[in-house]
Order: sequence, then structure tokens, then C-alpha cells
Amino acid sequence: MFLGLSAHAWITIVTVLSIFIVMARTRIPAEIAFLGALTILQVTGVVSEEEGMAGFGSEPVVVHAAFFVIIAGLMQSGVLYWLTKNVLGDPKNYHRAIVKLMIPMSVLAALLNSVNVVALFIDAVKIWARKLNIAPSKLLLPLSYAATLGGMCTLLGNSSNLIIAGLYMHQSGQTMNLFAPLLPGLVLTVVGVLLVIMLQKFIPPRDSAEQSFETTSDYTVELLVPTDNPAVGETVESAGLMQVKGGTLVEIVRFDKEIIMPVKKDEWILGGDRLIYAGQINEILELKRTHGLAAADRHVWSINDIDSKRKMRTAYVSFGSELIGTSMTQCDFEQKNDVALVAVARQGKRVQGQPREIRLQAGDTLLLECPPKDDEKLEQNNRRSLTFFDSHFVPHLGLRTIYSAVILVLMFLLSSFHVLPLMATTMMAAGAMLVLKCCRMERVVRYIEWELLLILGTTVVFSVAITKTGIADVIAHGVLDLCGSNPYVVMAVMCLLASIVSEFVSDVGSAAVFFPIMYQQAILMGCNPMPFVMSLMLSVTISFASPIGSSTHMLIYGPGSFRFTDFARLGVVMHIVLLIVMLVTVNLIYPLYL
Amino acid sequence: MKTTILEKDGELVAVFEGRLDTAASVETEQALKPLYDCTGHNIVFDCTKLEYISSSGLRLFLSVLKNAKPKGSHVYITGINDDLRTVFAMTGFTNLFEFK
Repeated sequence: MFLGLSAHAWITIVTVLSIFIVMARTRIPAEIAFLGALTILQVTGVVSEEEGMAGFGSEPVVVHAAFFVIIAGLMQSGVLYWLTKNVLGDPKNYHRAIVKLMIPMSVLAALLNSVNVVALFIDAVKIWARKLNIAPSKLLLPLSYAATLGGMCTLLGNSSNLIIAGLYMHQSGQTMNLFAPLLPGLVLTVVGVLLVIMLQKFIPPRDSAEQSFETTSDYTVELLVPTDNPAVGETVESAGLMQVKGGTLVEIVRFDKEIIMPVKKDEWILGGDRLIYAGQINEILELKRTHGLAAADRHVWSINDIDSKRKMRTAYVSFGSELIGTSMTQCDFEQKNDVALVAVARQGKRVQGQPREIRLQAGDTLLLECPPKDDEKLEQNNRRSLTFFDSHFVPHLGLRTIYSAVILVLMFLLSSFHVLPLMATTMMAAGAMLVLKCCRMERVVRYIEWELLLILGTTVVFSVAITKTGIADVIAHGVLDLCGSNPYVVMAVMCLLASIVSEFVSDVGSAAVFFPIMYQQAILMGCNPMPFVMSLMLSVTISFASPIGSSTHMLIYGPGSFRFTDFARLGVVMHIVLLIVMLVTVNLIYPLYL
Repeated sequence: MKTTILEKDGELVAVFEGRLDTAASVETEQALKPLYDCTGHNIVFDCTKLEYISSSGLRLFLSVLKNAKPKGSHVYITGINDDLRTVFAMTGFTNLFEFK
């Protein structure tokens, strides 16, 4: 024994602290760090084999796994796609856009989990930003806030809610209703949304890397020299095609596939040459107008043969697309659809080589020259292969779309009216999705985030270790000695600590560590544990000041081109105000003494 | 690939035989050197026995043309088969050269 704690307790403390340090300071994947810690706890005998493995079969893990299947069903049957197209309206200005975005997003997040909603709507929100001519970050941050705030209203809304509900069941033997956090969650959502609207000037405008095709200088564009082009027979330099506004000619592909690279300034231009430029796409595309070049998949005799009304459209290569692993020259995609591939972007980086020769990967962004009409037909014909950025496609509401929507609604009804426990309803809903073929069995695995399940399973074990080794008891007593036995003060101090820790580690980890301590404190003070549990549930999700603390901030971090400190400007204010509102609300709703 | 330069009726005639592909173009470039020194002679590319021409072959033709034109010489192409005609048409060479 040292400072009142056993060797096992110290091992647990050092292990959990190490995890936090590893996550904050290194690039080691979180699931590896968590599994490493679990191994240490097992090898040193802190937890038994049974306890160590029990986490993976616990309610939060099973519910999450089943929920991934449900999301797969909603995705594949078109429900989510339909939502992304129909939930958002057509805002006229930024102020209205924030309101129109945040309200439906918070409702959806409560039902579909905050992380899913943000992942789902990132692209749609970016299109809005483009329409309104503002930086995507100005809308992505409100999206993230709306989703996390809305997620506070149900157990499925945020992962940490499920963890706490699972631990509560473990400790008290009582199951929590799916809508248990609805009332305080709703108050926080309303206050939070109002705060974001009032403090919108704190949201930094950042140019998004995803506007790549317009702004970055590092993309490869392919243009064809029609036979009757006046530059034929000239050198690239004398024709003004070597150094052009916004880019440089890096390669010429002749009609017989001979590649000239690097291109010398006295290289001749032949009709049928494909000129490969690196640079700013929009400016290079001006060459079509100024120098009579064409974007085309086949030979062009005269620029007049090309419909000048053809337009550029951007599309993503979908997962499972038949285009993956093949290049445009190897397949008949361009001929079949009357489109021409002009450029390819891969994760915001330039892809070397001739765009039409590039073997495509899932997630690649393609810039296609498309026919002036029949946008919807093009999307309909390729809906399994490509997702168009400016999509006009609203899927036909098939029977399976209705099935999966009904399954989701039934799941909420059965669970909220306590007909069946949450674990049973989510598993049934997942099963129904598979049986009714709302999602294909072989595709389901792709939608399951195994890393998250591993992390959730291990955090449950941490919680067990903290209780079992007496750490929860000692810290609970320690805090009580320091703060006196005023439950309000204890709750406030613990929530403040939990929310600060959440800023630096994940909300899930923080929830698992603080739960046993706060539960113990409630029991020691003879209080109703519910206000303690509920305040912890909400306080670990109000950590908005860093991208680490919030899973939704993490999702928008890259697409919004945010800087690490961008989140702190609005996040610190949100954190403090929401913490105070939360403590008041929870204590007004839940009595401290039964 | 065989390239022969003849002088006939005051014109320099380059006679091509075989396939003028990328591999053959280095050798052909050497063979065409005398055409670069021409002064005032018209030049004829006799393609009667030319089976194929690659883009590198076309570059050689173009180089000779660009060298000869400022000196007032004409460059004619003669005897091309249908395949070559398609290549010349597609690359825009039909508009650059004179055909006999």
C-alpha cells in the first residue's frame, strides 16, 4: 500500500495516465494504445481474463456494432441519401444558413449519432458554402456543434452517452431509457445553438483543401489539340502553350501514345496531342477558350465539333465503384456516358501522370466534362460508381427505403417505451435490416468501425479496474474531503475536471474514468446517483475547445482546413457557458435526494 | 527502315522504305541530315514504300519543313497509303504539307 492505494491501483493509475499522454503526445492510433493498456492490466493481474474480455461484449459495444449495421442499411437503401438532399433547404444568406443547418442537424444527430450525421453532411454543407460564396469552415463548425449538441438528447446520440448508460446499468442494475438525457440535452442544444448563432464571428474562415480544383496550384489537367488547331506545326513555346497562366506544360502524349516528358520549349505540336498541364485548374481550362483546346475522350477534328455548352462537374469515386483499379483509357466509361475526364485529385494532392491513365481509387475526385443536359440521367446510370458533387439525384423511394426507415422508427419506439431493452432493439433492428435486404451482407463489414468498438470495449474495462482496485473510492473520498460534503460543489468540481480531461483525451475515455468515481461519491453522500451520472454524461461532450475532445470536430478538422487552435475561440466560451447551464438544468430536473 | 536521298529534276527526294517508328527515327534523322543543308531545292518525301509512321517520324518531317520553308523551298509528300493519309489528316499535317 502506498498513499492508501494498492499496487494494482497504482498500476491502473499509471496505465490510464500513460494512455492519456500517448493519445495527446504521439501519433499511435488510439485503439492500439487502449489495447496495450488492456494487456498491461491483464498481465499484471489487475483485471481477470474474464473481466478483461467482458468489455467487448458489454452493452455500449454491442449497441454500437448493431448500430453500424443499421446505418449501413439506411445508407444503402437510400434513406440517408434522401435526407442529405431534402433536409437542407436553399438558404439565401449565411445567417439563415446557420439556422437552417443547425436545427435539423441536431434533431438528426439525436437519432442517428452525431458522428454519422457530420460524416454524412460534410459534402452537402460544402456545396452550400460554395453557393453562398463563403469558406466551408464557416458552416462546418456549426454543423459539428449542432450534431454534438443534438447528440446529447439520446443515448445513441454520442458514443460517451452509451458508455455511461452501460456503466450505470453495470453498477445499479437499472437500464436507462433511450431518451433519458432528452430534457437537459434539449436545454443545452437550444442554448448551444443560440450561442453559435450569436458568436458566429468567432468562427474562422478557412479556405478548404476540398476546393482543390479551383484554388490549389498542384493538379494535373489533360487537354487535347484538335486537328484544325492553329498551333499544329508550331513549337509549344511559339504557340504560347508552354508556360500558361496558372500552370506549366509537363507532358505531351502523342496520338500513338508516345510520351514526351519533360517537354522542351521547341517541341512541335501535332494534332491529336494530349497536353498535360500542372497548375490551377480553372485557369488552365481557360485554354479551351483562348487556344482552342478540348477536353475529350476521343479525337477531335475541329473545336467546332464540341458543344461549347458542355460543362465541368466534379464527382467522387464511391466505395465499391467499378471504376476502382481501372483507368479511363482501359474502360468505356467515357464513351458510354459522353464525358471526358479532365483531372483527378487524390486527398487534396496532385496525382502524377496523365489523368486518363491513372488507376482510380475510392475517394478520388474526378473533374469531368459532361454533356450540357441530362445531369440526372448521368447520375442515375452511375450511381454505384460516382457521387456527383453537385448532385441532382434524388433516389427513387423504393420498398427497401421504406423498410429501413420503418425499422429505425420502430427501434426508437420499442426502446423508448421500454418494450425491449436498448441492446435487444438495436440487435433486432440490425437483423431486420439484413433479413429485409436493406443492406447487403458482404458490404456491412465496411461500415463497422472496428477501432471504435475496440476503444469502447477497453474503456469499459478501465472503469471496472478503477472501481475494483479502490481508486474510485479513494479519489471520491479525497475530493469529498477537499470540497466538503456539499453535493453541488462536488458535482461541479467533478464535471469541470471531467470536461477538461475530455478536451485532451476522448470523451469516451474520460467518461469511463470519471464514472466510477462520481457514482461512488453520490453513494457516499447518500445522494441519488442520477444527477451525477447525467451531469457527467453531458459534461464530457461539451469539450469543444480542441479537436481531440470532440469526435465531430475531428471529422471536420481536415475538410474545413482548420488549425488546431481554431476550435478554442468559440469552444472555450461554449465550454464554460454550457457547463454552468448543464449543472443548473440537471439539478432542476433530477432531485439530489429521493 | 531504309532512307535514301536522291537528287532528281532539281529536287531532293527522300525515299522511305519500311516502318518509321520511334526506334527507327534516330537513324532516319541522321539519314535526313543532307536535307537540312539544301538551298533553294524543293524537297519530296516519297512515301510509296512507307508502311507506318509514328509521331516521332512526323516530327522529323516537320523539322525538315520548318527548316526549308524560310529558304523558299517547298516540301512535297507523295505516294502515301490510306493508313498514312489518316495519320496525316488527324495530326493536321494535311494542312502543313503539299501533296503530289
